[in-house]
This record gives sequence, C-alpha cells and structure tokens, in this order.
Amino acid sequence: MRHVRGFDVVKPLSVTAMIAIMFPLVLLPLASIFLFGTSKGLGSFWAALTAPEAIFALQLSMVTSFWATVFNVIFGLFASYVLSRYNFWGRNALIVIISLPTAIPTAVAGFALLLLWGPYGTLGRLIAPHGVQVMFTAYAVILANIFVTFPLAFGVIKPVFDTMSRSLEEASATIGATRWQTFWHVTLPSLRGAIVTGALLTFARAVGEFGSTILVSGNLANRTQTAPLYIFAKFNEGQVEAANAVAIVLALFSFAIFSVLFFARDWLDTE
Amino acid sequence: MQPEEITNIFSSEVAEPVASPAAATSVRGVSKSFRGTVVLEDIDFDVAMGESLVLLGASGSGKTTILRIIAGLEEPDTGRVILHGKDVSELPARERGVGVIFQAYALFPRMTVERNIAYGLRIRRRPRKEINETVDELIKLVRLEEHRHKYPSQLSGGQQQRVAIARTLAYKPQVLLFDEPFGALDAQTRVRLRREIRILLKHINVPAIFITHDQEEALELGDRIAVLNAGRLEQIGTPDEVYNRPETEYVATFLGAANLLLGVVTGGGVEIGTVNIHAPEETARFREGQSVKLVFRPEDVYLSRSGALPENCQRLTNGVVEEIHFVGAYERLTLRLDLIARQPTEGAPPLYSVTINTNEKRTGIPIIVTRPKPEANSTRLQPGDRVAVGLTAFRVLPNFALASERAGSIVDIHKTT
Ligand SMILES: Nc1ncnc2c1ncn2[C@@H]1O[C@H](COP(=O)(O)OP(=O)(O)OP(=O)(O)O)[C@@H](O)[C@H]1O
Ligand SMILES: [Mg+2]
Repeated sequence: MRHVRGFDVVKPLSVTAMIAIMFPLVLLPLASIFLFGTSKGLGSFWAALTAPEAIFALQLSMVTSFWATVFNVIFGLFASYVLSRYNFWGRNALIVIISLPTAIPTAVAGFALLLLWGPYGTLGRLIAPHGVQVMFTAYAVILANIFVTFPLAFGVIKPVFDTMSRSLEEASATIGATRWQTFWHVTLPSLRGAIVTGALLTFARAVGEFGSTILVSGNLANRTQTAPLYIFAKFNEGQVEAANAVAIVLALFSFAIFSVLFFARDWLDTE
Repeated sequence: MQPEEITNIFSSEVAEPVASPAAATSVRGVSKSFRGTVVLEDIDFDVAMGESLVLLGASGSGKTTILRIIAGLEEPDTGRVILHGKDVSELPARERGVGVIFQAYALFPRMTVERNIAYGLRIRRRPRKEINETVDELIKLVRLEEHRHKYPSQLSGGQQQRVAIARTLAYKPQVLLFDEPFGALDAQTRVRLRREIRILLKHINVPAIFITHDQEEALELGDRIAVLNAGRLEQIGTPDEVYNRPETEYVATFLGAANLLLGVVTGGGVEIGTVNIHAPEETARFREGQSVKLVFRPEDVYLSRSGALPENCQRLTNGVVEEIHFVGAYERLTLRLDLIARQPTEGAPPLYSVTINTNEKRTGIPIIVTRPKPEANSTRLQPGDRVAVGLTAFRVLPNFALASERAGSIVDIHKTT
C-alpha cells in the first residue's frame, strides 16, 4: 500500500475504477431507459404504457409468471422434502436433473418444448386430434416459464431443508402430530424465508423470460405476447417509445423484487 | 412449585399410592446395530409408576439410542417396548404418548411459549377453552407467566427447558424421557433445576427416564440408576446399591473413584501379597484360588499413625504417605502400600506385580485416600509418614481381564474429567 501523508490512495482509486467500469456497462444502459422514456414528457410515457397491447403484454407476463412460480415453489418444496429426507438409489442423479434447466440455453428449452408439444411433436400429435393445442397459447408460455425457472425455488429451499435440525420434527412427532401436521406447523414455518426468496427469484426470472417464450408463444399481440416480446416487437416496428414504456416498468419491477430480496430476507428469516 | 396446582392438572392421573408399583415402562431384550456395529445388546429394564430411572454411561454407550427406541424414533432390531402394559413396539412415535425433552429442547422457534405449550392440544383439536385453561395452568406450574408471549430464542436455557417440559405435560404423557436435560446449563442452574424437576416429578407421578453421564446428577435424580457400558447394562439398582455395592469393576470406577487391588481368594478371605483380608461373605460366591479384585473407595480408607484402628475397620496393611492435596471439602492423599508380591508358583504367570509404572520405578502399590476435614485436622499427616491402613468398606469383584491388569491400578474419574 502506498500512503501519501498517512492517506491510503489505493482505496479511493480502486473505488473510482470500479465505478468507472460499471458505468458504461450497467449504470448507463439502465439510466438511458429512464432518460429516453421520459424525454418526451410523462404524458406520452403514460399513453404508451396504457396502450391496450402493452397492458395485455404486461398482464400476460404477470399471470403466466405467477402460475409458473406457484408450480415451481410447490414442486421445489416437495422435491426438497423427498430428496433431503429419503436416501435412495439415483437420488443424486435426480438432483442434477432438477438443476439442469439453468444450464440449458433458453432457446434450446423453447425449441425442445416445441418438439414435444408442437402440432407434430411427440405429445402434440396425440392431443391435436382432440382439438387441444398447447403451443402458441398462454399455456405454452407457462410451460416455458416452468422449464427455465425449474431449479430456482428448489435450489433455495433444499439447502434449508438439509440444515434443518431433525429434532424439531421428531419432537413434533412424539407430541403426537401426523406427518402432515408436522410439515404444516413446524417444517413450513422454518422454510418461510426460503420460500419467499425462491418465489421472488422464480417470478423475476419468469417475467423476464424471452428466448424460450418467443419460440413457443408465437408472439401474437393481444394473445400470447408477453412484456419482453412486446418490447422486442415494438422496437422492430420502430415504436421505440412504446417499447421503452414497458421496459421501464419491467426494470422498476426488477428493482422492487431485488429490494425485497435484499432487505426483507433478514426479517423473514428471523421473526 | 405449588403441589395443589400440580395435582390439579394431573388429578385424573394421580392414583392412590400403589402397594406394588406396576411397571409403567418396560424395555425387553432390546438390541440395535447401526451398519453392523452393535450399539445396544439385550437391554432389559422396568420403570415403575412415578419412579425416575437414570441411564448413566460414557459417551457413545447407547443412552440416546435407548431413549429413541422407547419414543419410537428408532426401531430396535429385536426386543419390545411396553408402556403401561401395552406393547407399543409397532406403534409410530406419535401414537405412543411419550414425552421427550430433547438435548437442545427442540422448541418450535416460530411459536411463542404459549403456542409451544399448546401444540400437543392444538393438533389433537381440543376445544379452545380447554387449551387455554391447560396452557394457563402449565405456564403457572413452570413459572413462565411473564414470558408467555416470548419466542424460544428470547429465553434462557433453564426457561427453555421448562417450556419443553410443559409442552410435553400438556398431553399427559405416559412417560417422560430426558436426554441430558442439564447439559447446556451452568453448574449452579443445573443443581437448582434438577431439584425442581425432581419435586415436580414426585407430584405429577409420571415415570421418567433421564440420561446423563454425570455421576452426581445420576445419584441425585435417580430412584434407580442403570449403568450402561458399550451397549450393555452393567448394573441397575438404587443409588446406594450401585455406589456402595457395585457388581462390576466398570460400575465401581464409573461412579466415583475406586482403588483396585488384585488378589486371590484364600480361606474365606482375599490374599493380596502377604496380607489376607478376612471377608467370608464377600468371597462366598468365588471359588478358592480364584483371582479377584478388592475394590474400595478413597473415602472408605482409615489412616492411623498409632496403628490402632476402630472396631468397624479391617486392617489392610501399612503404607507411606506420598502426596497430600487439599481439594476443597476434603483432603486427598496418595499412599504406597507395603504389599509384597507373593511368589507365583513355578511356571504360572505372576498374579500381580508391585512395580509401578512411573519414571522412578518405585515399589509399593499406590492407592488414593480421601479424608474429611475434621479427620484430617485431628490426625495431621505429612508426606513420608508411615501409617496403618484400614478399610471401613470394600467389595470383592471377579477379575475378568487378568493378564492385562496391573496390580495396583488406580482409577480415579476425578482426574480424567
Ligand atoms: N443413526 C445412527 N447411525 C449410525 N450410528 C449411530 C446412529 N445413532 C447412533 N449411532 C452410534 O451408536 C452409538 C451410541 O450412540 P448414542 O447416541 O446412543 O450414544 P450416547 O450414549 O447417547 O452418547 P452421548 O453421551 O455422546 O450422547 C454411537 O457409537 C453412535 O455413533
Ligand atoms: Mg446422547
């Protein structure tokens, strides 16, 4: 360390350097969404945001992400319970398989779903004659969201399960509780923090999902177009303001979720 | 604790004192192995109604495993568990009605004191009024009135333990199982709490099994003590029996300090070197010439400078005082006895050797003696003094591991713990 008059110059230098690097890479792009989106006044921003297509896209994103989150949290809980309470052959293989979707490119995930459920897909062929079509509907968006966010809730909940002391559950059993009562009154409350964290992560990731959604949804305005797809479509059509308004909402939304994760976690984990 | 309150809660349970107490809990021939390692071997004992039994044993001797088997948290390989005459071996933990106070209490962290105590009744879907009344009574019983809305993490160790006890009492358990209930507490609190628990148990008349590896705790808490060694029950009996009449060397040395001298049964006595201790009753169960151990506690030794010994005192031999320590309440001396080895017959292995394994290779068998302060003050001794050594009490035990034993091995648990 070089000290100038007892002052450590490395510290302010390195902090400045760090911010200088982050500035063009992260901070400027984020700032430009807000700068550009509001440059023509709040009125035009509001008009762009309340366009029916935009509202529909935002709603669709929220609804599909919600159901994907519900499913993945419940499944994540169930899978964590099974995989940390029981030891069986192939257990580690299952853990790897559950975690796999994070490592798969989202376009590949969407493509795989198309191959399975599409009109000529393995399962799609079976259900098509019954007039049921999954692909290019909101259900396809949910399926894609489930697939790409599959391991997130599990990944947060499982470690908590693993470290949870068995004696609480054993105490509950000796007191006379059924397995279900024990799970509901004893295990679940201890997982509250992990469940909320897992749900928020899943939801945030699902709302932003693009690569797989664009393949399986068909990107039909007012039918299967999610918010990220809307941004993409409007930008391609040259309607930058329209795209920007929705982008601002998504960005603010991520900030909100991130703040909850960051600040509320301690609160959830204690009390 | 107010007795009225206690009997109030347990009014339905408190029976007339029974002349011959029926077994409230029986463990019959329980064995258990974990991955081929035998942890419990043919464990057999009963606990009577209102009685408290202490399972005493070194770490890893299988105490917790016994408790878990009684509670239904572990399945024995063989054997049965019978609660109040009912074989519960096949029942899951939740149907056994056993109260377990876990080592770290295992209170539910997200429930207040009240809700922890109410848990057993809530899951049984009892009417709210009954739940509230019982919880109120129990909170009063364990004196946690000011803490009823607190969470476990806001309580001291002793308070947490009282919550854990109240939580099990709420559903009127058939037997209470305590796994090292005082392990996490400081010495003073321990002593206070175990008195409290003992009073409580006497009033509610629920049988209890305690686990401990603290001999003092065992002697104070137990109506009877079961000494466990490596998965086997060494001895089970009243504190007086296991302390004063140990049946094995392990029990003698685990409960308190003991001096062990190797000897041979000869003519109604024990021959140790050149002396013969007259003990017709004690040696009656051994055959002539059998190798035995004379076991006596440090406090059962009487030292006399004049050579005169009181009436009730068997003369052992003479000895030289080697070291003197004051250990608070009493005086502790190391003594070397003048015991000369009897020459082994031709070809036979030496029964004992009197060479002591110290740096100096001194001879004479060392023993440890403790004397209460009045005695120490009336007969002051110095290192080097020659004294007559008498025994006020001793035991003769079979000598199992003959070849590996040294003559004057001293086992003193105060030194090792
Ligand atoms: N679930 C288990 N799997 C394998 N081995 C076990 C299991 N539970 C206990 N053991 C082994 O059984 C032996 C007895 O364990 P136990 O917990 O009953 O001892 P303990 O007397 O309670 O000891 P401590 O005083 O240290 O609590 C130990 O050697 C332990 O390693
Ligand atoms: Mg134990």
